[in-house]
Order: sequence, then C-alpha cells, then structure tokens
Amino acid sequence: MNINKSLEKNRKKIIDQWFEATIKSYPPETARVLGRIKNRFDNPVGSATQESLENVFDQLFSENTLDPEKLEDALDTVVRIRAVQKFTASDAVGFVFELKDIVKNILETAPGEDFDRKVDQVALAAFNRFMKCRESIFLIKATESKRRIHKAFERAGLVTELKDEDLL
Amino acid sequence: MSDELKPDELLDKVDHTPASGSWMDTTVQIRPGIFSYAAKPDSLETLGAPNPRQWNPLDDDWQLPENWQEIIHNGIKERLEKFRTFKIFMDVCVRCGACADKCHFFLGTGDPLNMPVLRAELLRSVYRNDFTTAGKILAKIPGGQKLGGGRPMTVDVLKQWWYYFFQCTECRRCSVFCPYGIDTAEITIMGRELLNLLGLNIDWIATPVSNCYQTGNHLGIQPHAFKDMLDFFTEDIEEITGVNVAPQFNVKGADILFITPSGDVFADPGTYTCQGYMILFKYLKDKYDLNVTWSTYASEGGNFGFFTSHETMKRLNAKMYAEAKRLGVKWILGGECGHMWRVINQYMDTMNGPADFLEEPVNPITGTKFENAKSTKMVHITEFTADLIKHGKLELDKSRNSNRIMTFHDSCNPARGMGLLEEPRYCIKSVCDNFFEMPENTIREQTFCCGSGAGLNAGENIELRMAGALPRANAVKYVHDKFDVNTLGTICAIDRAALSTLCEYWVPEVEVYGVHELVGNALILPGEKKRTTDLRMEPLPGMEDEDE
Repeated sequence: MNINKSLEKNRKKIIDQWFEATIKSYPPETARVLGRIKNRFDNPVGSATQESLENVFDQLFSENTLDPEKLEDALDTVVRIRAVQKFTASDAVGFVFELKDIVKNILETAPGEDFDRKVDQVALAAFNRFMKCRESIFLIKATESKRRIHKAFERAGLVTELKDEDLL
Repeated sequence: MSDELKPDELLDKVDHTPASGSWMDTTVQIRPGIFSYAAKPDSLETLGAPNPRQWNPLDDDWQLPENWQEIIHNGIKERLEKFRTFKIFMDVCVRCGACADKCHFFLGTGDPLNMPVLRAELLRSVYRNDFTTAGKILAKIPGGQKLGGGRPMTVDVLKQWWYYFFQCTECRRCSVFCPYGIDTAEITIMGRELLNLLGLNIDWIATPVSNCYQTGNHLGIQPHAFKDMLDFFTEDIEEITGVNVAPQFNVKGADILFITPSGDVFADPGTYTCQGYMILFKYLKDKYDLNVTWSTYASEGGNFGFFTSHETMKRLNAKMYAEAKRLGVKWILGGECGHMWRVINQYMDTMNGPADFLEEPVNPITGTKFENAKSTKMVHITEFTADLIKHGKLELDKSRNSNRIMTFHDSCNPARGMGLLEEPRYCIKSVCDNFFEMPENTIREQTFCCGSGAGLNAGENIELRMAGALPRANAVKYVHDKFDVNTLGTICAIDRAALSTLCEYWVPEVEVYGVHELVGNALILPGEKKRTTDLRMEPLPGMEDEDE
C-alpha cells in the first residue's frame, strides 16, 4: 500500500499517539488534565496541541511537496504556546520527531526516507516558528513600557527623545 | 480533577519535568521570564517596611533576618487569630481538586504548583505542621509529616512561597468552583503579607506603593504634571470636537469627586478612556450643571497596597475619604479600574469608614439611588453612565463606533468581586452596534484573568504573563475568527495595558478599548463641530477621505 494511503488509514491512531507523546513533555499531573478535558476553552493547551497536530499531519500525506509557510501556520497554534512555557528550544519543538517512531510502530514497517525527510521539514518549520515567537516576546518586552508610558509623556512634552536627524 | 487527584498522593508525586522528585523535597527553580524583580530598599523604607536591602531572587542568600522563622511563625499565628477566613480556609479544604484546572496560570504554564489547591498547600502544609495537634504529633513519627501533609518551614519552602504567591493574580476564578467557597486569593494575600514581614516584595508592587504613599499615585507624578497631562488631553479633545472640556481640580463644594487609576492619565490606551470621562463630565456640566472635580491629591484609584498587606492597603485607601471630606463633596465617583473596586466594595467601609460625612449616592440628574453604594458612598462610572443612558439623558451617535466589532472582557474584580456584569455591557451596546460575547465559560463570573493583575504587569516576567493570558486570548481569538471581532472592551486600567500586550502576542488583529473611550466617541457635546476622527485621531467610519 502506498505510504500516504497507510497514513490516511491510520490517521486517528497516529494522531492520538502523537498527541499523547507531545503532552508527556509536561509534568504527569498536567498531562492528565491536558489529555482529559475536551472543551477548548477549559483546556486551551490540550485543544491547541490537538488542532495543530491534526493540521500538520494532514499536510504530510495530502501533499507531495510541503509548503514551509503553510506548515509554520499549522504549527503556530502549538508552538506559540510552547514558546512561553518552561521548555528549552529543543524540548519545545522536539515533539515533532516523535512522529517517526509512532508511524514506524503503527505501520509495522519503516515508512521510508521520503517520510523521514518530511518530518525533518516539519521540525525545521517548528523551529522557525519558535524563533519568531521568541523574537516577538523579546520585542514586546523591550517596547511595552515605552509604547505606553513614554508615548503619553512624550505627547505631553514631559520627555523627549532624540530623532534620527538629531543624531546625524 | 475530583475523580483523579488525591492531593496527598498528588503532592508526593508532582514531577517537575525535567527536574524530578517530590515538591516537598525539591528546591524551587526560580526561572527568568517568570519571576519579577525584588523590591528596591528605598521603596520599602518609605513605608517603614521590614528588612529593606538590595537582594536578588536568583542568589542563594536572600539576606533574611536571623530570626526569620520566628517572624513567619508569629505572623501566621497572629493572622489566624485576626482573620477568621484565613483560619477556616486553612482547615476546611478537603483537597477535592475542583479548583485545580480552573487557574489561568496553571492552564497556561502547565506547572502543577500553579493549581490553586497546590499553591494553597504550600502554606497549608506549614500550618498543618506547626499549628494543628495532628500535625504536631505526626511530625514526631517517622513518615508522619507526609501522612499528615505537613512540613517544616525552611528557606526552600520560603522560596517556593515567594515564587508561587507571585504567580497568582488573586483573580478568584478558582473560588467560583470551590464547593466550600474557599477564596484562594485570600491565601495568596496572606502569603504575600507574610513574605512582606521579611522584606520579600517585588518591585513592581513596592515602588508604586511607595510612590502612591509619598506623592499620590503609582508613577510618583507630582500634581502639576498630573494637571499638565489632563490639559494636554483638553487640547487634543478641542482639536477633535471644537469644545473646550477643561476639567476642574480640587474644587471645594463640588457635587462629586472623581477618582480613577493613574494608568488612565499616563498610560496608553487608558489615556483615551480618560478623555472619554472628560467629555462626559463636560456634557453633564453644560446640560445639567453637574459639578465634578478631579483631585491632584487623591490622584490614584488603584491600590497596590492590596497586594502588599492589609495595613498598607488601608493607608493608601484612606486618602480617598480624606480628600472627599476636605473638599466637602456629596459622594465619590470611581473610574474604570479593577482591584480598586474590590478594595472599595469589600474593604473600604470597614477599613476607613464609616464615611458618614458623605451622602448616600443619588444621581442628581435621574434621581436614581445607588443602593449598592449606600455604605461605601462610591459609585462605579459604568453604573452612573448606564443610568444616564437608560433615562435618555445622553445624546449619542453610535455610528461613530460602527467600525468597532466588540467583545467584552469582564475584569476579575468588578465581575467576581462586586458583581458588575450588566452595566458595562449596557453602555457598550448603547454606543456600538456590533457586540459579540465570548464563550460562556470565559466571561462573567467565570471570566479568565488577563494574567497581569495583582501587581504582576512587569516586563521581566513576560513569559509568565503571556502564558497566564492564554485562556483569555484563546477566547478572544475565537470571537475574532468567528465574528471578525476587532475590539476588546474592558473596564480596568491594568487590563487596558495587559490585554493590549496579550493581543499583540496572541491575537494581533484585536485592539483594546475602555468603555468610556467608546462613550466619548459617541457622545454629542453641545456646540461641537463635525467630528472627523475618533479620540485616537483615527478617521471616523466614512470619514477616511476627509482632509484635516
């Protein structure tokens, strides 16, 4: 059977196991909650993780060539969350690689180099998105107070900042 | 959770991946991005607070007083005798776990010690060990401490307290779900009060408290600068409307004293909400001769003393009544603020009251008695404005807000702390055509916190704030995706700042507005010129092509 067809046939099983493996990166008490509650507003991390994994997985077997931008968008929901949690960079995106073993075990055969390459592409897209989120956090951190307080003071003429032309 | 978590088992098993072991044995890992900087000694000295010194939470040595354990022990003892709630909350919890998955910080960070039950256990375990007979007996038996859920007070325990009591915004969502009605926020309040006995505050709280105590507001802005800011807004509003709305300050014999958080005066986008108040007061002056005064002395509605200790809260709150008395006003009108309203509604009257020199608040224009404010003598501005709108006393042009597709974030303290649910919605619907609610388990009593309240809106703890904001942002994103919502209305100064940042990270298409900014846009001032822009100087709907 064609690998894509096998993936499609085992979609639910693979995604379920991938989800389990992903939430195991949290402490066990947390993982239990993330896996149990179905309402997306009572369990935003669990539902976002589920949603992202499904979207990414569907791209894996429905397309011959992966579109990096589309992949990043699909990963955004889960990676944006993991970027502000207690993960190292490798732990934050490492869940992607779990897919290789899961698929291998479920299909009971090595899915082939092409599949492995696709998973690697997903991991790279996840890392790209992770970095964008971190950069966004640093930017927000750097500009937040200035944007608020400083701007109001500036408008009132209480403070002033040198402009580019003053510095030249 | 209730079917799964047996807290004693759970407490032993908490595994801090990648670290391992029980929370009772593990040294807390204080992580940059999560904790806030320590209080500066100068700020503690202003208030005569204990143990002012330069210290760093990442250092091993926190420079505690030699007898710190005795101070904490006596501190707990004193508070158990003084506050019945504290005693009950220490004893009554059956650790059913109903609160465990209700906290935005737990849901967002995934850290099990942010489950309200476990955060409370940090303190409760010491209480059990030191203050209960069972705990004292069990402590003598090998393994008895764990059996009784008690543990002795050590430096590591103290560090856990500090780390996790400053990861709680005292929002009280967990208490809504507690079958015993335990208010975990009060446990955090006590925990922080105890930490303050050792000089363990964070600077984002201590310095605003110090400024407020010395100068009158969180930023330490002096009266002339406070007035300068409002004068500047007056110029802006005149440019937009053609009407001079200059406010009056410190006027003796005015009808009403208006007090709002200083965030409205100094921080965007609260400044536009402030302009909304100014337009409203000018309208009421011209139409109904209502005389509202601002104060440069009581220039802060917020009260970060609430996040420090009961005593500090009382000291800061006192100036509201003192100023109302000095000016001889009839009653006090309060602006759009969050925790200020919990302090007023729940503490002010007993702390600094009775304010028998003030009148029971009556709206002089409509005759409505504000029964709920009968005792505190302080009325929320959305109640006041909703009453005016209900009686047809305001002339409004909704079309000026027609580009705003609204949803409303219930701020924790006005919603859960005083039950103010309908009035802000009524105001918004009266000045905007497009309004969509977020899902029901994320609004009203069940509202999710912004993740930055209770003094945690600092910059250095940005990861904590963004993680804590996730449940709220998740619901905002839902209404944005489904209904094209582009505006998040709110009635809290911290929210206006915090939600703007959370939207920037999670839902960048959504902007944050105070309710009175929308009212200010819609209100038709007597004698105004044709407006072409809103208060943010952005073109009004249909005016995009108008020249300046």
